[in-house]
Amino acid sequence: MLKRILVLIALVCSYSINAQTVDEIISNYFENTGGVENWEKIEGVKMSAKVNQGGMEIPIEIVQLKSGKMMTTINFQGQSIKQGVFDGEVLWSTNFMTQKAEKSDEEAINMLKNEMNQFPDPFLNYKEKGYTAELMGTETVDGAETFKIKLTTTPNIIEGKEVPSVSYYFFDNENFVPIQVQEEIMEGPGKGMVSEVKMSDYQEAGDVYMPYSMTQGVKGQPGAPITMDSIEINPTVDDSEFAFPEEETPEEN
Amino acid sequence: MKKIFLVCIAIFLFQNTSYSQSNIKLENLFGDLRARHIGPAVMSGRINDLENHPTDPKIIYAGAAGGGVWKSNDAGTTFNPIFDEFCQSIGAIEIDPNDPDNTIYVGTGETWPRNSVSVGDGLYKSVDGGNNWKKIGFEKSERIANIIVNPNNSKEIIVGVLGALWSDSQDRGVYKSTDGGLTWKQILYVNQSTGCADLAINPNDPNIIYASMWEFRRTGWSFNSGGENSALYKSIDGGVNWKKIHNGFPEGNLGRLAIAVANSNPEVIYTVIEAEKNEKKGIYKSVDAGDSWKQMNNDFGITVRPFYFSRIVVDPRDENIIIKGGLSGSISKDGGETFKDLGFMHSDIHDAVFDINNSDVLYVGTDGGVYRSWNKGTTMEIVENLPLSQFYHISIDNETPYNVYGGLQDNGSWYGPSFAPGGITAKEWNPVGQGDGFRVLRHPAKNIIYSEMQGAENVWRYDADNNLVKTIQPLAVSGYEDYRFNWNAPIATSSNKPNRLYIGSQYLHKSEDMGDDWEIISPDLTTNNSEKQNQEDSGGLSMDNSGAENHTTIFTIAESPLNENIIWVGTDDGNIQVTTDGGKTWENTISNVQGVPKNTWVYHIEASSHDSNTAYVVFDGHTSGDMTPYAYKTTDLGKTWKNIIPSQDVYGFVRNIQEDYVNSDLLFLGTEFGLYITVDGGENWAKFTKNMPSVAVHFIDLQKQTNDLVMGTHGRGVIIIDDISPLREIKPETLSSKLHFFSEDTYTMNDYSGFADNFGRETQFVGENPSFDCEIKYLLPKRHTFGKMTFEIQDMDGNLLAKLGAGKSKGINIVNWNYTIKQPKIAKGKTFSFGGFTSPRVAAGTYKAVIKKGRDTYEKVFNVEYDKKTGLNPNERKMQYEVVMKMYNMVQGLAYLVYKLDAIVEDENTNKKTVSKLNDLKETLVITTGDNYVGTAKKQLREKMADLYSKIASSYDKPSDNELDNLSLIESEFNMAKTKFNKLKKKVKIEGLSLKSFEEFINE
Repeated sequence: MLKRILVLIALVCSYSINAQTVDEIISNYFENTGGVENWEKIEGVKMSAKVNQGGMEIPIEIVQLKSGKMMTTINFQGQSIKQGVFDGEVLWSTNFMTQKAEKSDEEAINMLKNEMNQFPDPFLNYKEKGYTAELMGTETVDGAETFKIKLTTTPNIIEGKEVPSVSYYFFDNENFVPIQVQEEIMEGPGKGMVSEVKMSDYQEAGDVYMPYSMTQGVKGQPGAPITMDSIEINPTVDDSEFAFPEEETPEEN
Repeated sequence: MKKIFLVCIAIFLFQNTSYSQSNIKLENLFGDLRARHIGPAVMSGRINDLENHPTDPKIIYAGAAGGGVWKSNDAGTTFNPIFDEFCQSIGAIEIDPNDPDNTIYVGTGETWPRNSVSVGDGLYKSVDGGNNWKKIGFEKSERIANIIVNPNNSKEIIVGVLGALWSDSQDRGVYKSTDGGLTWKQILYVNQSTGCADLAINPNDPNIIYASMWEFRRTGWSFNSGGENSALYKSIDGGVNWKKIHNGFPEGNLGRLAIAVANSNPEVIYTVIEAEKNEKKGIYKSVDAGDSWKQMNNDFGITVRPFYFSRIVVDPRDENIIIKGGLSGSISKDGGETFKDLGFMHSDIHDAVFDINNSDVLYVGTDGGVYRSWNKGTTMEIVENLPLSQFYHISIDNETPYNVYGGLQDNGSWYGPSFAPGGITAKEWNPVGQGDGFRVLRHPAKNIIYSEMQGAENVWRYDADNNLVKTIQPLAVSGYEDYRFNWNAPIATSSNKPNRLYIGSQYLHKSEDMGDDWEIISPDLTTNNSEKQNQEDSGGLSMDNSGAENHTTIFTIAESPLNENIIWVGTDDGNIQVTTDGGKTWENTISNVQGVPKNTWVYHIEASSHDSNTAYVVFDGHTSGDMTPYAYKTTDLGKTWKNIIPSQDVYGFVRNIQEDYVNSDLLFLGTEFGLYITVDGGENWAKFTKNMPSVAVHFIDLQKQTNDLVMGTHGRGVIIIDDISPLREIKPETLSSKLHFFSEDTYTMNDYSGFADNFGRETQFVGENPSFDCEIKYLLPKRHTFGKMTFEIQDMDGNLLAKLGAGKSKGINIVNWNYTIKQPKIAKGKTFSFGGFTSPRVAAGTYKAVIKKGRDTYEKVFNVEYDKKTGLNPNERKMQYEVVMKMYNMVQGLAYLVYKLDAIVEDENTNKKTVSKLNDLKETLVITTGDNYVGTAKKQLREKMADLYSKIASSYDKPSDNELDNLSLIESEFNMAKTKFNKLKKKVKIEGLSLKSFEEFINE
């Protein structure tokens, strides 16, 4: 038994030394997190978490399906408020003041449509999706050595102009899982800043491993941590949950 | 498989946790320790180069003299830094016109070589719009003046290298690459003291190149511009052959020349000439591509300080509209015949760019940041969010919050707070001096501030409470030579005698009455080398005796905090003098220093706060072309000096050193390319990069109460690292433990409240505030990536108070807790109860942080104390806490009542009449109509209760009688509601209903 472990360690060691190509890193990642077959079986994910904002605990639930449908539900004082709901065609959010649903514009919808393919992981069969991945070198993240991989996905139209979609993934060189993602913010008042997400607490979610803890923010600034209470793979969600709620017009007397 | 994999990981974890003494890689251990920037951006800082995107008018790049590269995506409304990891002194920026969204070149090293100019370290390239950079050569170029990419061929690049300012160098002239920067060929070289000051091409034929070559040199005590090698060259074959184009130029030697080609008609070119004779200086124009020249104008604005202002910009659409850099900046609309000043803005204009589509819009770079004009420069507006301030020196006081004081290149002296409501905005900064600002010091005991201007021409004592200013610089007295003050003259206070003040000329002057009277307590402590005292001859072709070159002066003064008779003095010409008898006798200890060239500038001496015989000295050799980092320590009053940078860890020459007050092995080093830290007395140094740019750190101080490291940078303003105390505990023992909690164990719940002024913040730089949270800090030997790791705050009985995101970094982790438990569960209504969003604070007492990582649990017990400034006694605090918790429970009690009521109403077995009565009751308990904004309905019991709860929980004060009366009213309403509900409940059968218990309901 001991011998077997030692052989395995030697194997893992040799991986971290020899894993030079981007495809080896990506293939190690999927191998170490459950295998490509299991990742391919994922049709949907439901994540439940509690966000702590200045002492206020806010339960949230995020649903994402392979079909592109998605939503985030926030629970405030017993009321569920949906944000970023996409039914495949319409993207909408609930206004906090009026508690009514409001639609997003075409560019935002097209961006989501472009991102649909990234589910459940942008690196899964990335070549078939037309994405490119490039190893930029090594960098230290949180004191850990990482491989920095540039991922280019489908370009978006932003403010009428085609803009490439580029993000940088930092794969821990021991476990071959991404522990950080950076992306230049391409629109809105934060345009030009770099968004940064750090991942940790990789644990089993169904038959794969996913990060249960994420810290999101802007590069250089402290991020906001979010910890998953649970991640459900292939949840049952009714289609009507994603539908834009048409406003009821009161009958005129 | 998974299991085996996890076992492997576990073994890896185990293997990697062993450290040896000599191998603490501190740079991987900083973790959550990060710098915050407080600016100011009031006066911004010097801009060297501006560049616009060739097709998108909204994109503008600014290259700062000491503050890096900034990109705007909104036509200069806001800027973001994109070059923080690299040398912050910028010479030139070029956007590849064939690939403008992606390919950018940055040449480092400012090209306006004033005395305080920094140095560059090469040419950088980005192929992804500035997200990633690679150095592609020119490491020894020191300053790059121009980069031009062939508009028809991205592979072809020419670079103008001005080169070394302080020494001979062959790394200068014009270079060309034909392979996109992989290889370079020097295509124009004159000699070791003549560099390329400006470069231009004919946009229609990039093989036509114009290059201005400039002979120049600076020393610590003099500047020379011009010589027989300065010339304007032209090549028509892409740089293979060059000829001088001087037909019409003045006779004699030339100085710095600028060159600009009119894009709309490339036959028209302009140069500005520094010549021997004043009447021959000025703007010259050629209408035949340099074959002949005609002098157009030699007004003051055109000829002023050529080394600082030789820049010409031609309107891309009109060959007759030109802008010339200068003290105010000049614009001509008649091809250079006449000029008028640009609109009122900060003086010293170095560059301008016209909008790519509209020549009425222009951007101007000055010593005080970037300005915009919408009317061709008639009126200017400042960009308010470029925090590029260039400090020579900073100091701090002991107020709460403490203030930071400092002097700036060309921008006076200031002080501002380390904290302000909502962030530290421009209006928080207060001017306390004029001219160039240098040392600014607060009296150790009184609200009196000392400041100065260049060469101690004025030293001010400012009584900040009464707004009284007095000049106190020492005046000449008989028996002494004329005083020689450095441009950046040293002033020091004493921690032994609060009213004492020192100032250094070549003598050390001491005052015991805050500068009213002065006594000279030393002989000339410098080398008094008369060859270095001819500043009236400085400047070369254009006399430039601003005082900036004054030399053989005292530059640093330090009185031992442990012994007032021990005073250290360092001079700019390389002496380290010490007295142990308050100035009666002096000893020059420089000959005891090994390994530093003679006469190297003694930049800073730090007297140890641990031992009176111990001091640190740093030398700066860059003004003689020596970029080596030097830092030394003595423990025997200078008899021996030990090199404390024995390794190759430090990059960039050193300006300052700071010793920790607690752990004398913890030292901070300010270098030209950033901050370095050692925890082993200098054996190993690590660069601190957490939100810390590679900016020149000119001065460092350490705040004793907060343990904040405060840095005065020369290009990015004041940068603070809050609470460096964890660094004191980084040792092999702590690193080899699986998790080490740092020793800090008492936290004060700050009762700060106030109002923030939010006006203008949309476009203004706002300095970041420190955290007021309880910051639990711990050290991890390795980053946590796999498996669960949780962080909880618990009371001493183990009850959960708060669940927080654990820090996972290798090294120092900081978890912030704001002393609250979670907000109360609120009764469900139609709208939100905003009072219900308040989380109550815990009572003062003992708590513990509990970290669970894998199978291990780690606990840290700590104390939480009340803020004393509210003046409340323990009984009042207790009463406040009890009332808040009573209301917290009441709010939750109401939530449970409404939950039960709803469940009964929804139950089909409940009869209609009871449903109706229950609904009537509910309408008095919670809001059941309207929205969260102006459609809001009348407040019901929930809203009244939650609002009072929030009012008391958010107050620093004990509950008032009025609040308690209100509480009684609400409580009786609640009791009545409960009675009503219980009566109605009896009318229904609730046995069939599976109601949650109170605990289940609260914790669901």
